[in-house]
Amino acid sequence: MPIRRRTPLGWKQLVHSKGRLAVATAGVAFAVLLIFMQLGFMNMLFDSTVMIHRQLNADIVLVSSKARDFANPGTFPRARLLQALSTPGVADAEALYVTSRDWIKQSSNDRGERGAMLLLGVRPDFKAFRDPEITAKQHLLVETGAALFDRQTRGDYTAFRAAIERGERPQTELGGRTVTLVDTMQMGSTFGAEGALIVSDQSFFEFAINRNPGAPSVGLVRVEARRDAEAVAAAIRARLGGYDDTMAMTMEKFIEHSKIRIQQESPIAFIFSFGAVIGMLVGLVIVVEILSADVHDHMAEYATFKAMGFTNRALLGVVFEQSLILSVAGFIPGLGISLALYALVRSTLTMPIAMTLERLLLVLFLAVALCVISGAIAMRRVAKADPADVF
Amino acid sequence: MPASSQPVVVIAGLSHSYGSGATRRQVLFDLDLTILPGEVVFLMGPSGCGKTTVLTLVGGLRSVQQGSVRIAGRELLGADEAGLIANRRNCGFIFQSHNLHRSLTALENVRMGLEAQGRGLPADADERCRRILAVVGLEDHATKRQDQLSGGQRQRVAIARALVSEPTLVLADEPTAALDRQTGHDVVALMRRVARERGATVLMVTHDNRVFDLADRILEMEDGRIVGSRQGDSPVPHAGAGHRLEYTT
Ligand SMILES: Nc1ncnc2c1ncn2[C@@H]1O[C@H](COP(=O)(O)OP(=O)(O)OP(=O)(O)O)[C@@H](O)[C@H]1O
Ligand SMILES: [Mg+2]
Repeated sequence: MPIRRRTPLGWKQLVHSKGRLAVATAGVAFAVLLIFMQLGFMNMLFDSTVMIHRQLNADIVLVSSKARDFANPGTFPRARLLQALSTPGVADAEALYVTSRDWIKQSSNDRGERGAMLLLGVRPDFKAFRDPEITAKQHLLVETGAALFDRQTRGDYTAFRAAIERGERPQTELGGRTVTLVDTMQMGSTFGAEGALIVSDQSFFEFAINRNPGAPSVGLVRVEARRDAEAVAAAIRARLGGYDDTMAMTMEKFIEHSKIRIQQESPIAFIFSFGAVIGMLVGLVIVVEILSADVHDHMAEYATFKAMGFTNRALLGVVFEQSLILSVAGFIPGLGISLALYALVRSTLTMPIAMTLERLLLVLFLAVALCVISGAIAMRRVAKADPADVF
Repeated sequence: MPASSQPVVVIAGLSHSYGSGATRRQVLFDLDLTILPGEVVFLMGPSGCGKTTVLTLVGGLRSVQQGSVRIAGRELLGADEAGLIANRRNCGFIFQSHNLHRSLTALENVRMGLEAQGRGLPADADERCRRILAVVGLEDHATKRQDQLSGGQRQRVAIARALVSEPTLVLADEPTAALDRQTGHDVVALMRRVARERGATVLMVTHDNRVFDLADRILEMEDGRIVGSRQGDSPVPHAGAGHRLEYTT
């Protein structure tokens, strides 16, 4: 005999008290939103630390063994670059100089505020970046003091951008010297700096007088065609064997290494996880409160159902059903608002915040877990409903 | 003895106490009671004499402490939770305050009587529910919730819910308490009729002398004991009804 589905009692109870359903849904949505924003910002931060790495036109990277993040890569002796260059399989090796410098933001209202920029120095005739736009404009850097300006720089740079578009060459002060913005490029901002400037290696030493050609920040190594980068990196490491001041690793390893480093060394992961946990707790408190109130209101009905022959398990199923409904009902608006806020952050802060499928599934899982835990807490009272109380 | 005349309820030496230690208080004393199939038995007596306690023990809503309670051949003394639940499924309950679920329609409430059986709903569940709602005169009210029903209608839904699973025994505790005279009488008459049609036995607690004409047998309790039994004013007493006792107020 075909079996009919049982009456969706949990659902019926929830929709019967709409106010309660709305509050619980809002609670879950809030928790979901908070977790999405925390995870989003955290991952954006980790991602942004390797955004410039991804821009670099290199198979293998040399970097100081004391390197921290990209804005503070430290330096290593230029001799290591030459050692790498003489390793079989290496096609070429060039130096990239990196530092952070304050500059005067010639903002449209001319207040002359200061801001921190990431300064990248490279030989103008060397293709150090993957983006063909940068390669095409690098010849402009031959002139001392000339810089390519990252048009995604955070803050109000409409005046600079407009001037460059008109074909002008706006000037401002960088590290106490005059910098000329000859054109724009796209790098994307990082947390540490508002934006980036690319200059020639010669100009770099003008702006950073404490730096010299003998101490580059990053070595960009390219391997010959059909060479395995991992094997060549190992060969370079063998060649550098005696010197522990420099690390050689493939680009993928470099990106991975940098991400792990910031995750381990900064309190960022902890801070953002803490925020996500707070979101969970707030959601938990609200949902426990709502489900408990619903159970409380229906104690007489639950006792009646038990008297009629319902098992405890069947009635716990009602609360469980409510938990699942609330998790999905809260997740959907929570996800919607998060996506809208992500888009807002992308457009106003030009930060690469994006939803990933893994994060979506993770937060859905957390939302379900939150509701099921709340349900389990609220359920304990259902077991206490005494069928003998019904008369 | 043919199976059909096996007693539905056999209570022997039933005692019950509430509380423990110093606050322990015995409320039932050495009760004996036998009810035959199809009988409609009313239980009456002053407040606090233990009527509801008897009903909860017979229904398997409480564990039997001492004495024997056999319902349709099932011994409830020492029964585990599964045994109690099986007994509950074999009983239809009608409560003083109808206890319908306020989020559910009349039809859905009745259907809970079938879902309580724990076997999954049969395909003709809704049809059966509609049929019994028609029997209690509520075919046009199937989609109404309790706040759209009168007190008498709610009690009729409760009757339908109690009887839809065709229980052996119907247990009712003052089902007329919240109803006016005529409605109360109608509801009990209906319960009696539906129970009769389905071969169910009825044990009902009531103070309400306005419905005594609907009983086959009336038992009187006092201080945890059955102190009297008489035939009801029912025009057609059941064959198995007990002997007539003088009943004095
Ligand atoms: N759960 C309980 N715990 C302790 N004592 C109880 C409990 N239930 C009932 N009693 C006591 O047991 C006695 C019998 O109660 P019971 O409810 O069976 O009486 P009753 O005849 O149904 O009364 P009423 O007509 O008022 O409904 C009363 O003195 C009551 O106070
Ligand atoms: Mg009572």
